[in-house]
Amino acid sequence: MTETREAVAPDRELWVPEPAAIVNTRQLTEREKVFTLQLPGGRDLGHQPGQFVQVSLFGFEEAPISVCSGPEQRGSFELCVRDMGGLTHALHQLGPGDRVGIRGAFGTGFPLEEMEGKDCLIIAGGIGLAPLRSLIQSIVANRDRYRRLVILYGARTPEELLFREDLETWGADERNELLVTVDYGSEGWEGNVGVVTTLLPKVDLKPTKDFVVALVGPPVMYRFVLADLRALGMADEHVYVSLERRMRCGVGKCGHCQVSHRRVCVDGPVFPANELWQMPESI
Amino acid sequence: MPPKVVLEEAGLREWLGRVAGKTPLMAPVRRGRVSHDFAWVTDPGQVSLDYVRTVMPPKQALWPTRQPLVKFGEEGGGRVDFAPQAQPVAEGEPFALFGVHPCDLTGIGLLDWAMGQRDPYPDPSWVARRAAATIVTLDCLPDEYCFCALVGSSDTREGADVALTPLAEGFLGEALTPKGDELLRLARGGREPTEAEAAEAARWPEEKARRTRVKLGAEVGELADLLGARYESEVFEATARRCYSCGTCTNVCPTCFCFDVWDELELTLAGGMRSRRYDSCQSLNFALVAGPHNFRGERSDRVRHRWFRKFVYLLREHGRPFCVGCGRCSQACTAGISLVDVMNAVLSEAKEAATR
Repeated sequence: MTETREAVAPDRELWVPEPAAIVNTRQLTEREKVFTLQLPGGRDLGHQPGQFVQVSLFGFEEAPISVCSGPEQRGSFELCVRDMGGLTHALHQLGPGDRVGIRGAFGTGFPLEEMEGKDCLIIAGGIGLAPLRSLIQSIVANRDRYRRLVILYGARTPEELLFREDLETWGADERNELLVTVDYGSEGWEGNVGVVTTLLPKVDLKPTKDFVVALVGPPVMYRFVLADLRALGMADEHVYVSLERRMRCGVGKCGHCQVSHRRVCVDGPVFPANELWQMPESI
Repeated sequence: MPPKVVLEEAGLREWLGRVAGKTPLMAPVRRGRVSHDFAWVTDPGQVSLDYVRTVMPPKQALWPTRQPLVKFGEEGGGRVDFAPQAQPVAEGEPFALFGVHPCDLTGIGLLDWAMGQRDPYPDPSWVARRAAATIVTLDCLPDEYCFCALVGSSDTREGADVALTPLAEGFLGEALTPKGDELLRLARGGREPTEAEAAEAARWPEEKARRTRVKLGAEVGELADLLGARYESEVFEATARRCYSCGTCTNVCPTCFCFDVWDELELTLAGGMRSRRYDSCQSLNFALVAGPHNFRGERSDRVRHRWFRKFVYLLREHGRPFCVGCGRCSQACTAGISLVDVMNAVLSEAKEAATR
């Protein structure tokens, strides 16, 4: 039934993007670039790991993009953007001195509070590492609050591995366990070859009840990873996934991100897996 | 001025003339031989007092097909800037919206929720236009497409400022809000209703229900569960084989509010406008994401989504279906698909499954 909600005075600026300065860019791979952005006055974005912003380029409309830096980074934030044409292609042409519009951050984040005092299992596929990097950075910055940190990351090829320096840093801390795999190896690659689920048997995930899982990747990956996690005895309500949809508004109005009875922009993008089973169009 | 007043048709039109002289007036007018639509009017003689349904719902006064949201740029801007100076566009000039049938008023109330209370992000354009509107409802009788009486929207008054009920002779007007009272006070030559006239008006909802020819295979309260259990129904497949995905059904719907956003640049590239326009969940690319991956790539997925959104998802969240029984989608469908027929086919399937 309808919830009675206190009438909120409308924000006249709801649709108005705030100009953010590009202060740095880093080419990560052939297709992915990281943009460091600064809001006016160096104000913090004030986001939670897992939330997204509506990136606006006037003339190219808007696209939702996950924040890939942790909230502990003050004065600026980062977006990892794959050049997919349209707005993202235009964005790739920009650099320091250019400005982009930002609205947000919007949506739900990963359950950091629930993760405190628990073992954290992070499973990333491809560009799914971007929103999870925000989470990992937050965990690493407050490392004592969490117990084990297990990161499993799969990319298509070694050349497409994102955030290599971060991976090295996270892996270098003996408190963390990092395993990386690629679907297709290439010359000089001596690591794992195989999809990300092949990493699961390589780590000790017992007792499973001590784990909270964060999982982001392409839709096809979810089915396989969720099935394996279930087989390992992980409870769905402690497994969190992030869904990708192309919101036009980010604030629950435009209808584009409606998945079954939920809206990815305001009810998600982070959902516990037990909710996913009520949403047949989710993955 | 008494709280209730009877106006003869001539008096009513004269009142509309006064209203139009004071504030912009949107009202139903005839378009062509049989169609009606809402339009800005200055001549009260044009206003149709006995239309059954308009092609587009009066929602267009509050939620135009195209709405500017953000104006970009400043005069004589220099280098190309992808985040130029921006200011909100929210139009809120007072206007009167006359002749809204109770079903469409229900639709406006549903959009009040969807654009307002539903989330902590009220839509500034909707709120501004809504606050600027003084709404006059006009009661009506159903034709072969109408089923307001079956979905609880035949006697809605909430959200209106003045209610008008047709009588055998003239109309009974009632002010429902201070704003409505002020508007109705512009009327001249009104008189108090007789007891018989008050009784005649009070019988109207009953008369409406009695004349409703459409039959729905379940009570409103059962729809979400019965339909929700038929996600895999073959009825959606069969309907999809007839549907063209043209989006007419969502365009004419008084409760649909999905939109797309687009930018228009001035030739100087220094400025322009970001606007929204109606979008349809029936379009192939509506749920397309990068990849590319289309989460409702099959036409049957999109057909199902329309019924599920109105009668399962939003019904469960809001408490009533996002359908007000206006009959527009069924009448306007280019493939002759009836919303109620499809619903009833799924409902009989559901009931059959329950007895197996």
